[in-house]
Amino acid sequence: MAEITVERLTKRYGETLAVDDLSFTVQAGRVTGFLGPNGAGKSTTLRALLGLVRPTSGRALVMGRPFAELKDPVRAVGAALDAHDVHPGRSGRGHLRTIAAAAGLPNSRVDEVLDMVELTPARDRRVKGYSMGMRQRLALAAALLGDPRILMLDEPANGLDPQGMRWLRDILVHLAGEGRAVLISSHVLSEVEQTVDSVVVIGAGRLVMQGTLADLVKGDRRPALVRSPRADELRDLLEAAGASVRTDGRADSMHVHHASLEDIGTLAAAHGIPIFELTHEVATLEDRFLKLTGERGNVR
Amino acid sequence: MRALKSEWLKLVSVRTTWTLLAATVLIEGLGATLSAALGDVEDLRKGDVSAFIIGLRLQTVLMFTLGALLSTNEFRHGTANSTFVVTPKRERVILAKLVVGFAVGVAGALLYIAFHAGLSLSILASRDVAVDSDLVVNGYVGVGVGLVLGCLFGVALGAVLRNQVLTIVVGLVLFTLAGTVSLFIGTDVGQFFPGEALLALQNDPRVEDLLSQTVGGLVLAGYCLVLAVAGMVLTRQREIA
Repeated sequence: MAEITVERLTKRYGETLAVDDLSFTVQAGRVTGFLGPNGAGKSTTLRALLGLVRPTSGRALVMGRPFAELKDPVRAVGAALDAHDVHPGRSGRGHLRTIAAAAGLPNSRVDEVLDMVELTPARDRRVKGYSMGMRQRLALAAALLGDPRILMLDEPANGLDPQGMRWLRDILVHLAGEGRAVLISSHVLSEVEQTVDSVVVIGAGRLVMQGTLADLVKGDRRPALVRSPRADELRDLLEAAGASVRTDGRADSMHVHHASLEDIGTLAAAHGIPIFELTHEVATLEDRFLKLTGERGNVR
Repeated sequence: MRALKSEWLKLVSVRTTWTLLAATVLIEGLGATLSAALGDVEDLRKGDVSAFIIGLRLQTVLMFTLGALLSTNEFRHGTANSTFVVTPKRERVILAKLVVGFAVGVAGALLYIAFHAGLSLSILASRDVAVDSDLVVNGYVGVGVGLVLGCLFGVALGAVLRNQVLTIVVGLVLFTLAGTVSLFIGTDVGQFFPGEALLALQNDPRVEDLLSQTVGGLVLAGYCLVLAVAGMVLTRQREIA
């Protein structure tokens, strides 16, 4: 059974359709990226899963049931929706203690999670003095308090420096390795592409695709990049052979569509034209992500 | 009990709580102490001790604000998200806030009475200013119960309105305009307004046409009850967006 099941979820705020007939699942033991541009409906979906907003139609289930029906929600789900969701006048430790008390957890657990997120030295400082990265760590600590089976983190990499990103990646991969289902949202694919095992991409509230990162770039045919000191001559030959060629302003390179690498190499060899570089242009995840979500846009 | 402990920790873990509590006790208490120590003895003998105990009525406004912060801080600082994820049965959270509001109201009332009476009444006694003991008891009971109800009123109104600024402004209007409402809409209706009910509860001799002390207290308690129920129902039904 999937740890998270979103089934034909629709959420409407007045005239605004925030989530539109969205369905996907999240499995245990994996980090799943929940991707989409700002305003795509990611946060609304997470809030529906956490019982904070009511679906207009459809279902958002955690461990097969609505969040409100979970017997022990803190041990089932740990959530971090916004790193700013903390009273600035409270210390990091004080903030976590209020949550631990509500969850029936001992104060020793607070110190454990503070240690896990490496915030122990700053635990007694008031949160208003925390950097964004420290607030993100505190939010993650709050999510980890109940040692939950499922983690839902909304934009956890927001505002993290490269060191913080690496730390986040390592801890999330570690947590998923323990068998937890980890769902992290982001509007910037590069923030999470080294962390996630699979992705759910949405745009304008609708599912664009669900699968692995490889699935994300599959089917996106990219042109060949060719570099040659006799690029003009080769271009004429390729066009005569039916390929379409685009130059990028550099005298020795071109981008070739509708011709395989083998065809280009064979043609060049037949005419004694030296080739310095012959490769498919790499389809970046970012390109694919923008293409997928851009088609739907995010304004409704 | 879990929600109760959490709400108590939320209250005591921020400086604002202690500042407001100190202001509640000290501002009126020090004012009364200075009046008792420096005022003309003849004027003090002629004055009404009830008004002396009530002072400028700032104590109830400050305690109301403390109660309002108990509820509205959740939405002002976004902690409502984690609060209601950890405790999905939201009415429990509001109930816990009301219990904590009651407790801090009682603590504030006791501190107020101890500080106010301990200093100012002993100074009056040392200056041979006799006071009517019945009026003193009535005055402190009225102010003390008013502090408890004021705090509960703040918690409950905050749960209904959620917006911190709006809640405090509404409370300020209700309590600072107390005594003037009847001038505009007549005594029959005006005496049942929250501010007027508070004045009746405090047995304020400076305002006429008020309910009796007991009825004033019951009316104010009625407002707290209605707002508390409304706050619980609305919090359960509304979305946390």
